Amino acid sequence: MRLLIIEDEPTLRLQLEKTVSEAGFVVETAADGEDGLFQGLEYPFDLAVVDLGLPKMSGIEVIQQWRNEGKDMPVLVLTARGRWQEKVEGLEAGADDYMVKPFSSEELLARIRALLRRSTGWSQSQLECGPIQLDLTSQSVQVEGEAIEVTAYEYRILEFLMLHTGEVISKVDLTEHIYHQDFDRDSNVIEVLVGRLRKKIDPKNEYKPIETLRGRGYRFALARATG
Amino acid sequence: MSLNRRLLLSASFVLFVFLGLTGFVLDRAFYHSAEQAVRERLQGQVYSMLAAADFDENKKQIQVTEPLPDPKLSSHQSGLYASIYTLSGQLVWKSKSSLGMQLPRYRKAAVAQWHYEQLSSNKDQAYSSVSFAVVWEDEQAKRFQFNFQVLEDYKQFKQQISQFRNELWGWLSAVTFLLLLTQGVILRWSLKPLREVADDLLKVKSGEMQRLSEHYPEEISGLTEGINTFIDSERSQRDRYRNTLADLAHSLKTPLTVLKAGINRDAVAEDEIDGLQDQVDRMREIVDYQLQRASASGRATMGASTLLLESIERIVSSLNKVHAEKGLHCQVQIKSDLAFPGEEGDLFELMGNLLENAFKWSRGKIKVVAEQLTINNRKILRLSVEDDGNGVPEEKRQLVLQRGKRADETVTGHGIGLSVVQEIVAAYQGKFTIAESELYGGAKMVVEIPLI
Repeated sequence: MRLLIIEDEPTLRLQLEKTVSEAGFVVETAADGEDGLFQGLEYPFDLAVVDLGLPKMSGIEVIQQWRNEGKDMPVLVLTARGRWQEKVEGLEAGADDYMVKPFSSEELLARIRALLRRSTGWSQSQLECGPIQLDLTSQSVQVEGEAIEVTAYEYRILEFLMLHTGEVISKVDLTEHIYHQDFDRDSNVIEVLVGRLRKKIDPKNEYKPIETLRGRGYRFALARATG
Repeated sequence: MSLNRRLLLSASFVLFVFLGLTGFVLDRAFYHSAEQAVRERLQGQVYSMLAAADFDENKKQIQVTEPLPDPKLSSHQSGLYASIYTLSGQLVWKSKSSLGMQLPRYRKAAVAQWHYEQLSSNKDQAYSSVSFAVVWEDEQAKRFQFNFQVLEDYKQFKQQISQFRNELWGWLSAVTFLLLLTQGVILRWSLKPLREVADDLLKVKSGEMQRLSEHYPEEISGLTEGINTFIDSERSQRDRYRNTLADLAHSLKTPLTVLKAGINRDAVAEDEIDGLQDQVDRMREIVDYQLQRASASGRATMGASTLLLESIERIVSSLNKVHAEKGLHCQVQIKSDLAFPGEEGDLFELMGNLLENAFKWSRGKIKVVAEQLTINNRKILRLSVEDDGNGVPEEKRQLVLQRGKRADETVTGHGIGLSVVQEIVAAYQGKFTIAESELYGGAKMVVEIPLI
């Protein structure tokens, strides 16, 4: 999952970046509204965290421009003033949730996960498809009730595919959503990771959870068991 | 006493005195001239009698050749009477008009001198009387004096006077009435701008107008411009105050966020984390509470008003978006022209906090009602938000509201928002109560704000 954080206060920006990337997300940051707007328009993000009081361009304008350009990723708004008018304006501009500063890292992560779930149509943090269960909060994977050890990148791939169950995801998309933008894009790495993941979650090759569509990409083929 | 009444009273007083004096003077003048006319008329009668009278030398007596020129003297009880007396007062002759009548005799008669008086007979009958004495000499140069008297019924004079008075005072009253009416109209017209200023000020106070309009007569435009300057400066001062507060909040909160998020990690020992976390939370609550309290402007002297439905629908749709997953149904029951007697910011804080709580605790249904009521002749605005959540237990209701005073109190469930609501409601001299929803069984928050 790839996140954009736009926050002008350097200490807080670094801290947010650290918190969120430690939680397993790919994070890009911007220090002002213009840079944030540009990054949000140029690169694919699964979610954006936007501070409302930004230099050069206000958070509200950034969100409005994204929405006008057809960018529909969920947006979490951060506000220091906590004034209701500001919250309502942010939500009306296209944000999906708000948080009033100060907040704890746990709170932020919980909101981010909830927004990601909501935007992909899942209502619980336990994703369940056939025998496979993925817990967004604890970042753990179970197959037929048994815990499976996966690496961070394997988890990210599975999480992204399961959140977008049924959708065709190209290798480029997958790379972009699980790696930083300066990562050397070698599609072989993805193929290797997907291969390992398949062996771990379907050792007997009976469910075939991840389909390969030649020339197009991958698709998580098992139907959602939970909502 | 109102300006209108003062001016009307004093002008009416002057008018009455002036017209009263005019009437009095006119009355006197007419009275005198009428009296004069009576005298001249009676004198004329005496002259005509003298012309008709002749002294009979043989009988040593006066002879009157009739008929006399004035027919009134010959017709019975015509109101004009004449008589001739000897010096000793013995009646010698009297006109036919006075036949059978008891006429009063003059009190004094002198030769070649007119004497006027008013006389009355026994039967309260009054007369104007003129007497005049004439002396005849016979051949022996003996002198005989005869006293002539002409009487006129006083009633005629009185009638004339009273007729004049009726007309005079009638006209004067009509003029007074017309003048008063004109004066009243003029006063209303001249004081109209003042009334308009007062009306406009009320509108500004109730928020229908932002400031006073510019077109007033020059005498009061200084005053209205002063009021406008005052309104503007008050407004800009409030905005400045609020912006300063917002900046303060912003500058305090970002470091607090850094602190709060930074506590969990690294250098801090495990057992100290909770204590530090609590302290940061407490700092945050104090900052939140004080800032929100300070930014609740309260009913400004020159306030604005905000349409309720539009603002509340904006908050509801925003919250619906945030809580989309819960699939809540929020029913809004507000007349579209109902307004909140204050600034939009205050309304947003008030309803935002109430609604956020309802959305947080509701399981499916929320109802927002705003209505205008009249209680004990006072107009109030009642806002209520009810939900089907767990509600607030009775023993905790007081605690929830007190929380603002003691920011370290923690109450499970409802957050700091409600003490902010309490604070705003207090600034509007209103009442905030927490009850149980009869409709849904959850909490029912009721805010009552007096309207001007």
